[in-house]
Formats: sequence, C-alpha cells, structure tokens
Amino acid sequence: MKNPLLRFCAAGAVLLASLITASAAADSKLIVAMLPKSKGNAYFISCKAGADKAAKELGVQLLFDGPTDSNAAKQNEIVENWITLGVDVIAVAAENKEGISTALRKAQKQGIKVLAYDADAMADSRSFFVNQATPQGIGQTLMDEAARLVGEEGEFAMIVGSLTAANQREWQKYVEARLKEKFPKMKLVAVRPCDDLKDKAQSEATALLSANPKLKLIMAICSPGVPGAAEAVKQAGLAGKVKVMGLGLPNENKRYVHSGVTDSVILWNTGDLGYLTIYAGVALAKDELKKGAKSFKAGSLGSFAIEGDNLLLGKPFIFNQGNIDQFDF
Amino acid sequence: MSTTSQAPAISEAARGDWRALLTRHEMLLLYVLIAEWVFFYIAGTSTNRRGVVVGFGTWDRQFDILRHSCEIGLLALALTPVIITAGIDLSVGSLLGLCAILFGKLWHDGGLPIPVAMGLTLGIGALAGALNAILITALRLPPLIVTLGTYSLFRGLAEAITRGSITYTDFPENFLFIGQERWLGLPTQAWIFISVALAVGILLHRTTFGRAFRTIGLAPEGARYAGLPVERRLALVYVLAGLIAAIAAIIYTARLGQAKADAGTGYELFAITAVVLGGTSIFGGTGTIAGTLLGVAAIAVLKNGLACLPVVMRLNAAEEMSGLLTGALLLVALTASVLPKILSKLRPRRHTTIRTIPPLSP
Amino acid sequence: MKRYFRELSVLGALLAVLLGLALLAPAFFSPQPLLTLITREAPTLVVACGMACVIITRQIDISVGSIFSVCSVCAGLLAARGWPLALVLPASVGLGALFGAFNGFLVAVLRLPSIVVTLATMVTLRQGLNLVRQGEFVNLPDHVQWFGLSQTAGQLVLVSTALGLLVAQALAMRHIAAGRYIYAVGTDAETARLAGIRPQLVTLLVFVFIGALTGLGAMMNLAQSPQVQPLTGNGLELKVIAAVVVGGVAISGGRGNLWGAFAGLLLLACVSPALTHLHVEAYWEKAVHGAIILLAVIADGLRSRQSNR
Repeated sequence: MKNPLLRFCAAGAVLLASLITASAAADSKLIVAMLPKSKGNAYFISCKAGADKAAKELGVQLLFDGPTDSNAAKQNEIVENWITLGVDVIAVAAENKEGISTALRKAQKQGIKVLAYDADAMADSRSFFVNQATPQGIGQTLMDEAARLVGEEGEFAMIVGSLTAANQREWQKYVEARLKEKFPKMKLVAVRPCDDLKDKAQSEATALLSANPKLKLIMAICSPGVPGAAEAVKQAGLAGKVKVMGLGLPNENKRYVHSGVTDSVILWNTGDLGYLTIYAGVALAKDELKKGAKSFKAGSLGSFAIEGDNLLLGKPFIFNQGNIDQFDF
Repeated sequence: MSTTSQAPAISEAARGDWRALLTRHEMLLLYVLIAEWVFFYIAGTSTNRRGVVVGFGTWDRQFDILRHSCEIGLLALALTPVIITAGIDLSVGSLLGLCAILFGKLWHDGGLPIPVAMGLTLGIGALAGALNAILITALRLPPLIVTLGTYSLFRGLAEAITRGSITYTDFPENFLFIGQERWLGLPTQAWIFISVALAVGILLHRTTFGRAFRTIGLAPEGARYAGLPVERRLALVYVLAGLIAAIAAIIYTARLGQAKADAGTGYELFAITAVVLGGTSIFGGTGTIAGTLLGVAAIAVLKNGLACLPVVMRLNAAEEMSGLLTGALLLVALTASVLPKILSKLRPRRHTTIRTIPPLSP
Repeated sequence: MKRYFRELSVLGALLAVLLGLALLAPAFFSPQPLLTLITREAPTLVVACGMACVIITRQIDISVGSIFSVCSVCAGLLAARGWPLALVLPASVGLGALFGAFNGFLVAVLRLPSIVVTLATMVTLRQGLNLVRQGEFVNLPDHVQWFGLSQTAGQLVLVSTALGLLVAQALAMRHIAAGRYIYAVGTDAETARLAGIRPQLVTLLVFVFIGALTGLGAMMNLAQSPQVQPLTGNGLELKVIAAVVVGGVAISGGRGNLWGAFAGLLLLACVSPALTHLHVEAYWEKAVHGAIILLAVIADGLRSRQSNR
C-alpha cells in the first residue's frame, strides 16, 4: 500500500513548492481586513469595489473575506484568523452585534484598530462606526417613499431576506414605526421571507398578489428580493398598478426601473461606503483619526461629518428612472 | 470465501486482513493529518509587521482550532455509533439549533438558573433523539428519511419558537467561560469534548454495547436471531446522538455568546464527512472513535490552515477553498478505501487462490 | 385500488387542502397567478421524475441542487455570449448528464455509498461555483425569457413539457423493459443480476438520467426570468426528495411511481402559497413541511408493519 501514501506525499510536495514560491516576501504595507456579512451578496461586493480603490490609492493591502451566507459563527472565526495573523485594521459588518464584539475586543487588546461599517458592533469594541445611514433613517426613507408612491393610503406587503437577519429586523421595525406614526391610512398585510433567493421572492410575491387583491405596493428589503418581486408583478400583468420598491442595487434593477415596473430603488453608494471605511481605517492605524474628531476627510470624496463615534456617509439615496443609469454596481 | 467447510479458516484470515486494512486506513489518515499539519506550519506561519510570530504555528491558533472544532467534533462522535449500526442521523445540526434556542428561552424567558436550563436542554436533546429512535425502531422506518424529516422539523420548530428572529444574549460571565476561556491550559470546551470522546470510545470499544452496534450494522437479522435486543440498542444510539447534540448546543451558545435559530446549520455534513473520513463504513459494521477523531482533526486543520495561507488570503477564498477541498478529500478518501478491493479483483485468479490458504504456522 | 392506496391517499390529502383553500381563500385559484406558480414548479417536477428513479433503485442524490445551480449559471453565461437557445439547451442537459455520470461512476462502478458521494459532489460544486461567481447574477439577453414567445405561451410550453415528460416516463417505467429493470434493481440487485439484468449499468444510467433532467430543469428555470442568481438551486434536493417520498416512493427501494411523486410535489408546493392566502405567519412554513414529511413516512411505516404481521 505504498502507492496511495506516495501519491499523497507527491501531491503535497508539489502543492507546497508551488504555494511557497507563489507567496510574496513579507512586506511592510499596512494590512486592512474587511469583513462583509456575506461574501456572495452583491451589495458587499460593491462595497469591496470602493474599498479596493481606496486601498490602491493609499498603498495598503486589503484582505476581504466573509462567510458565503450570513453566519455569525463564521464571522467570529474569520476575525480570530485575522487576529492571529496580526493585521493592522479590522473593519466588520456585524451579523450579530454581541457575538462579534468579544472577538473585536480581543483584537483591540492586541493593538489592532477596529472599525464597524454597515452594521454596528458594541460601542466599546470598535473605535468608530462608519454609518451609511442609521437603520432609523433607512426605515423612514423606505416608508416615506412607499407612502409617496401610493398616495399615503392602501395595503402593502414586505418581502425580507430572512426572518433571522438582525439588520432586516431593525429596518422592518422602523418601517412599521413610521407607518404607525405618520400613515394611518396604510396597512402592512404580510411579511414573507425569500431566503435571499430571487426566484423564491418571485413566488412569494406572486402568492401575495393573488392573496391580497387590494395590494398596492410590494416593498422588498433584501437586494435579490427587488428584481424577484418586480418579475412577479410583471408576469402578473400588474406593472404600474402595484408598485415595487425596496433596498437594492442599481444594476440588478435597471431593466425593471426602465420598463416602469420598479419605481424606486433605495440604497446608498456602497462603493463610497467601502472607500470611506478603508480611508478611516488607515487613518486610525496611522493615528490621524482620533476620538472626538468632528469631521474626517477621505481622499477624493471630501469631508464627512462625525457624530460622536458615528462617521456618517449621508442619507439614503433613491435611484429611479431619472438617475439609475449613472451608477454601475 | 467459497465453500462452507473452509469458512472458519477463511473468515479467520479475512478478519485478520480486515483488521490490517482498518488499521491501515487510520494510519493513512494519520499520515495525511501530519502532512497537512506540517505543510500549514511551514506555509502558514510567519512573523508579522510587529515582530510577533503569527499564523498557523502559534499556540493561539492551535487552541482556536481546538475550540472551533469542538461542536462539529461532538456531532461526529454522536454520529459514529449511529453510522456503525448502518443508520444515519441528518437531524443533529438542526437539533443543535433547537436545543440552543430552547436553552436560551429557558434561561431568559423562563428565568431558570443556568445549570437547571442546561440539564433541561440535555433532556430535550435526548427526547428529540428518542423521537428519531421510536420512528426508526418501532415503525421500522429508514433512518435516512426519518432524520430528513426531523432535519426540517427541528429547524422549523426553532424558527417558529423564536419567530425567526429572537436571539438570546447577555449570558452571565461564568457561563461564557465554557466557550471562551481556558481551563487548566486547554480551552474549556476541549475538556468536555475529551470527556465525551472517552465516554463514547469506552462504549464502543470496551462494552458489549459496542459489539452489539457492530453486529447490528453488519447483519441486523442475524443479530436478532442471536438474541440481541436490536431495537433497544438502536434506540440507544439515536437518543445518545440527541443528547450529544444538546451538549454541542450549549458549547456553541457559550462560545458565541448568543443562541439563535440558525445555530448548527450545515454542521451535519461536516460531521458525516469526518466520520467517513475516519474509516467508519457508511454501510455499517466497522468504525472507531480514533478514526472519527482523526477525521475531525483532519478537517479542522484543513479549514483553519487554509485560512492562514497568504495565497488564500489574497484570493479571499478561505471559505470556498476549504469547502472544495473537504469535498474533494472525502471523494479521495472514499475512492482510496475501495481501491484495494478493486485492485484485488483485477489481479488474476491464481493469486486469489493462494491468498485463501490459511497460514501454516500460528 | 388497494395497490395504489398510498398514492391515492396523497392525492386525497392534496384534494383536501385544495378544498379547504376553495372555501377559505378562493383567491388561490385565480388562473393567472396559479399558472405562474405552477410554471415555477415545473423544473422541480422534472428533477423529481429523475429522483423517483434514483430512490426506487435504492440510491439517493443530494447533489441535484448544486448541479442545477452550475447548469443554470453555465447556460446563462452561454446565452449571454450569444449562443442560440437551440445549442444552450443540449449544453445544459449534457453538462448535467456529465455530473450525473461522475456520481454514477462512483456509485455503480466503485460501489461507494450514494449518500456520501453525492454529499461530496454537492459541497464541491457549490463551493466551486461560489469561488468563481461570488454570488453575482448573470444577466440574460431578452430573447431568452419564455423562449421569445409571449408570457402565457411560454408558460404553457414549459408546463406541458414537464407534464409530457411525466406521462412519457410513467408509461415507460410500466411498459418498457428498461423501466421494469429499475424496479428490479431496487428490490433486489442480486436477484436482478441473476435474471440477466446488469444492476451496475442500470444504476449508472439512472444517475446520468437525473443529471440530464437536472440540466433540463435548469434550462426551464432559465427561460422564466431575465436574470440567473447562482444560488438558485439552493434547497432543491430537499424539496425534490421530500416530494418523492411524500408521494409514496419508498427509500428502501423497489416501490413507488411517478404519479405519487407528482401528487407529493403539488402537496408540498401548496404549503407556502396556502399559508400566504390564509394569512398565516411565514415562520411556520418549515415546521409544516417537516410535519407533512414525517406524517407520510409514519403512514408508510404503519402500513408496512400491518402487512408484515
């Protein structure tokens, strides 16, 4: 039985040789590690694009890794990896606020600078939170835009990514709060999950449309949900009669926005979010960004306001037929 | 393996052969594990910009590997007796999730002290295992389909009870100690893992129960005729699996500091891979705890070692590569395990005849 | 009648659910949404036809979801590159058949257990796809959706293809020798071999068959929307296995037929829209699914216990 053993060893040796020669010599560039909620989500991929640009401008090395589907346990593992690797900055979009904070505090203890972006961690486990918009702001913008589209009265339904994702629950909470506060003539009739699958979102939306004949709008707060719901509305022949809007990426929704099926897609410039995060992270590492600062200048994007420890990107942005072609992510 | 008169002598030789083959599988796995470890040590350790040695070759990292592999390791331990009886349990990952949130609920909503909540959770795990056991033994239903159903059911119950989104957090410090701190030099959960491994190992290799499991896996009807209480033994393995899944749930919750309905998603696949990698035959009848432990170690080292390689980090592909390689490793291991059978079939008959002549000297 | 009691009881359950919906939520039956929902299930039906054969021969294939995703993405990329649909369809089917052949080789020739082989294949394919694609959607050219026909025409084409396949295969399994070989191998492979059938060849071909059907299903899914999401096959294997098992195909092999699988598929596919129409909260869905599967399986167990006595 020497053959299998020899084969294992030979394969291992080849792999070893190729990988060692391929790995670069130790360099003295700053290393910034960026953790998305889920690597496959186009939203975070577009954040990465901005982050890559910033990393190149600043001459730092960017590590970008995350779970393939949102998973708090895996996020922790990856942060632990980075700690033992000794990176200089860690920027996280936390799937679970408390869970990730233990690992982040450990990182801070070892002198690694920690930032949060997109979804915050506990206040004492990171120096700053790069906030694209508060969940409250997002929820309100969503609800206000929805109300505007239906004339402030009527039934609407919501499609979420998953029933367990923390930030989705937060947005939903603020949408419902805004609904109660300002739009008494509107009613939320159903909330259905789509498991972040476009096809399932389509099936759910089809069922929603048929179960609620008085439905006037579908709000999808996960990015695969918007094109899925739009396709359902289109196939049901209700384009224009039932409005579609939600949180999503311009590229996935362009064709629906142009054909009038989807009215608004709300987001923020995710590339800018990534860009700002990297700039802030590097500034932290170089001790240029300190606690108590009131503003921060990030490369070509200009100045940003800082409120307490929140670095604000700005208000959510509404993409519609008029401007969606200007964006490519 | 031909005439009945030669049967005793041949089965003796065959059994000797089998034992040698088995040891060889685990030895092979051990070589692979060592080779992996050495490879990642060399390629994955370096000195970072602060002059600190980081990467695979640090104590911190090794302890992290140990810490992270406890839950999957426990599930693999739970599955080993099940697979030895030629059964399978796909529901252990979902049961981990259900037990985790029930533990959180008992403590948080029920106001029970942590030890009581833990005890009740273990009871629930055993009960859930009993559900599988009853369906499999009393109704003689195939384990694959029963546990496929409970895989959905347990996860569904977890999501329904938490309405999908409730997460239990803010556990007290001395509970989190189990998952996040070290005790007497090793991560705390490692001690729990070692105890369970010892217990299951003793059960499998030193008691009559273990022999019963193997016999049931090889020939359930024969076992019944030989007077073994087959149903009771089968029920035991599934209840045990449920109990161990509950222990894993508690450790998971302590490690992460949160109890959420999606806990343990996908763990059963890694656990089964570890068990099969370790030499336990999915057809039942053979298997060792040592093999399972080696299998868990091999996968854990692979997953964590890959994440330490600079090349993988640059590609941002640690997650995919470890999944890919684990799948590939499983295929290779499976193929390698049947290779001797195929090779021997390809050899000309003459050699086969010679091999069946029992040795002259004892 | 008695012989098909199992399948008829699933049909009965389905009719009961539909009756309940007719009384409580008649909106469920509005033709256009119903057609859309049925069309969305057509690819699943196609794969279920293949899975029924696999399970009847006492094997299992949990890699169909990943094969579906890979075929969808590859077909989408080819279509986006300008390949005519007449070429993309056989490419997708062929790719699926290739993966099926790989599984089949390991199971039939190397005699490896199918649960573990297809587990390994599933993980490898899924992670490989994630690595390459990183979750990015594939945008399709306009002429792909509905094969360039109108929506209703396209939907009818897809549904009739799936139904046609179902009928053809059901008839084949009863009346053609090859169909009966599947039952023979599933009941007792050794006896089948002695009777002159080659169980290994049958098993290999069954895996190739389900692979090809998965490729076909991927194509049918592709034709329904203007974009492909790489995660699209997630959970397909469980859906299909559950449908087939609820429909009376026994995991222990040798028993069951496609009509039962069809009824099982419809029953399970009703759960989600039924919950929506009955205004029940979404998080009950998984629990209901699991309960239906368990009930079906328990019913099987009780019945075989009775017949054993």
